[in-house]
Amino acid sequence: MSKVKCDHCHLEFTDDVMIHDGEYRFCCKGCQGIFHLLKDEGLESFYSKMGDTTLSPPTDQFEASSNFDTPAFTERFVTTTKENLLQVSLVIEGIHCAACVWLNEKALHRMEGVIEAHINYTNNKARITWNPDSVKLSAIIDMIRAIGYNAFPYDASLQEVRANKERKEYYLRMAVATFATMNMMWIAVAQYAGYFTGITQDIKTILNVAEWFLATPVLFYSGWVFYRGAYYGLKNRSVTMDLLVVTGSSLAYLYSIYITLFEKGEAYFDSVAMIITFVLFGKFLEVLSRKNAADTLDIIGKHIPREVSIIEDETIRTVDVNEVKVGDVIVIRSGERAAIDGEVLSGEGSFDESNLTGESEPIFKRQGDRIISGTTSIDALIHYRSTKDFAHSTLSNLVNLLENAMAQKPSIEQLANRLSQHFSSTILFLAIATFWSWFFWPHSFDRSLMVGISVIIIACPCALALATPVATLVGLALGAKRGILFKSAAQIETMAKATMVVLDKTGTITQGRPEVVYANLFHPFEKGVLYTLVSSSKHPISRGIMEYLERTEEAMETGVIEEAREIPARGMVGRSDGMMVAGGNALLMQELGIEVTLSSDQSLFYYAVDNVLVGVYELRDLPKEKAYASIERLKKSDLRVVMLTGDHEAAAQRVAQEVGIDEIHSHLTPEGKAAFIEQAHRDGHIIVMAGDGVNDLLALAAADIAIAMGNGSDIAIEVSDVVLMNDSLPSLSEAFGISRKTYGLIKQNLIISLFYNSVTIPLAMMGYVIPLIAAISMSVSSLLVVGNSMRVRWMYK
Amino acid sequence: MDSWVIAMMLGASLFLGGIALAAFLWGIKNGQFDDATKMMNQVQYDDEAELNDAANQQRKQEAAGKKEYKPE
Repeated sequence: MSKVKCDHCHLEFTDDVMIHDGEYRFCCKGCQGIFHLLKDEGLESFYSKMGDTTLSPPTDQFEASSNFDTPAFTERFVTTTKENLLQVSLVIEGIHCAACVWLNEKALHRMEGVIEAHINYTNNKARITWNPDSVKLSAIIDMIRAIGYNAFPYDASLQEVRANKERKEYYLRMAVATFATMNMMWIAVAQYAGYFTGITQDIKTILNVAEWFLATPVLFYSGWVFYRGAYYGLKNRSVTMDLLVVTGSSLAYLYSIYITLFEKGEAYFDSVAMIITFVLFGKFLEVLSRKNAADTLDIIGKHIPREVSIIEDETIRTVDVNEVKVGDVIVIRSGERAAIDGEVLSGEGSFDESNLTGESEPIFKRQGDRIISGTTSIDALIHYRSTKDFAHSTLSNLVNLLENAMAQKPSIEQLANRLSQHFSSTILFLAIATFWSWFFWPHSFDRSLMVGISVIIIACPCALALATPVATLVGLALGAKRGILFKSAAQIETMAKATMVVLDKTGTITQGRPEVVYANLFHPFEKGVLYTLVSSSKHPISRGIMEYLERTEEAMETGVIEEAREIPARGMVGRSDGMMVAGGNALLMQELGIEVTLSSDQSLFYYAVDNVLVGVYELRDLPKEKAYASIERLKKSDLRVVMLTGDHEAAAQRVAQEVGIDEIHSHLTPEGKAAFIEQAHRDGHIIVMAGDGVNDLLALAAADIAIAMGNGSDIAIEVSDVVLMNDSLPSLSEAFGISRKTYGLIKQNLIISLFYNSVTIPLAMMGYVIPLIAAISMSVSSLLVVGNSMRVRWMYK
Repeated sequence: MDSWVIAMMLGASLFLGGIALAAFLWGIKNGQFDDATKMMNQVQYDDEAELNDAANQQRKQEAAGKKEYKPE
């Protein structure tokens, strides 16, 4: 049967399953509703605007929008503007195309009381300003949901605002500097031509004045960052590159004014503008590739439940987590995350503690067991008594520890920074020495000053300032092409210097989900029935069996099971064709009266039909593909490879042997992992840590370089410095390769610029440098550095 | 005399260039280049309805701004 498009979401389905609505076809009620809403609102031009994109059909499992009107929410996310309006920052979910942005903005603009709705297409963040007198935030949220999107609040934290402001400021400074320098170039061409072919003094003065006019904003507006940097450098008693730039350009500027006013010699305004522009460009590249630490903590905040349900006088009430006192009775439903530590009063069920322990097996909890905050209830409806308040619960502690660890993250000094200090003091010393020797030789004050200044100008670290940023940018691009995302350029250098790599077991070395490694079938049975039985459960073991059956059984017909029922921490039972079928662990078999004698250190899944054991499956978390070869490569590049895990010794040993890791530490808590890394720090190691889960967070934050797997938890990705999008271990070793190559490139660039200076500085000291030579030398040295970096880029395409 | 021609031409061209620069800086400050992807698509949404909508929004903003200055 031919497929037709849904008139709202444009996904294709066969005609008979569609909702017929006059001439229109819809895949679901949701799409139909939105379509009519848009038509009523006169926004149907959305469909012509969206072109070929398809939308995801709307879901309707939203928490009540009234949450958005609570005082707790307002206090946390809503700000008040000057005009007494309210403003909130939201992340809009479901934006696929530019038309979606258009639709959201228009729909909101049509609402009474919405003053401004601005949506950023690139990061889907929206800023909405509204008048609280005429509309409520919940109504705005309802509108966004009604047209098929969803919105989450996020803290537009001060730091993020500041970072954006800084970036914008750099754009402005760059624009001014580039404009002035480019215009100065054509004036300078006339100057140079005049220098060689003769020029009258009054024309020369006119050109000088024009250059003066252009150089002034460059030096004092665009170059302001260098004055600031030099000031703070001097305050800390260090000679920075900024100081060199500032002295060189300011002196050249003053000298050129003197030349212009007294009409003798050559002005160096073009050199002033060029120095500032080139070095500013290098600084700008650095700012662009700096990681924004603020975003990280935002995302962590998102994972902490803000409200819990407590029982008071027989009624369930939702309260802010901070209001919960020790001894309150809290209700936790399936799928909810515990925010507060406590002890189970009634109810039972399994909890996913993999967040904290890293163990994939769900933990069964019943009366008297401890609930740890941060863990998620899989199928349990439990009433528990809080034993701690929110601020002292495990989850809050973890977040605090994490914040501390991130604040104290060690920073390895970059090669260029160290070098530039020595370089700057040497050049300043040389310039002063040159001035004095010329002055006492004897020469006129003018001439000696000019030669002294020309030393600083020619040495001015254009190439030096560009050497690192350009090289790291190339490294970033190389990595990005291979699915290795370095979040911050400076980290490439640190990674290249690493001496130790620490790997988490579950999810990093292994696949993080159990797979069937061995099947022992005693009697033939219907595989389809087993398939249906396990597919009713979300337990990782059941998933493993399901995958195995899909892979090995070709013509499998799914069986029919009645009264399928999951027994927590045991398995599943059901009825098929009048026979009792049961699948689960040894405990379930014992309860059914079946004797099992097999034992293994791996997970075993037993399957029985009518109380007769017919098959046993052994499941294990297998190492990822090419794990052995990749770890071998890491070892070959002189790295100490260590595996950390929260798992027990035997399982850890087995995986370690398979992938060839000699040093393992098992049975570690999240704090234990972090402690191990801190100890290694004290021993002088530079550590790269790769992990994927929340249980690795502290360790990731403590390491010099944190690497997260692309399908790891959001928080791990946020905390990390490098993300491996394709999750594979080969790209881990490739990340090392790229960082080392980039570091090599940085070194090459630095050598080129230093070598260049060692040739040109003596020339300047001998007094041969006229403005033209200064300009040429600056451009050529910068071109050499950029060209050298590009060479690597082309080589590794 | 001819040096004045050069001075005037220099001055005029720098002045014109300066206007363009000022416009560009205004655009950056105004946030017009904040969202590269949206900016590139903006041309699709540039018709009479858009203008009306923008004007409407501005009216709303002004009305909201006035609210505060109302003598109580």
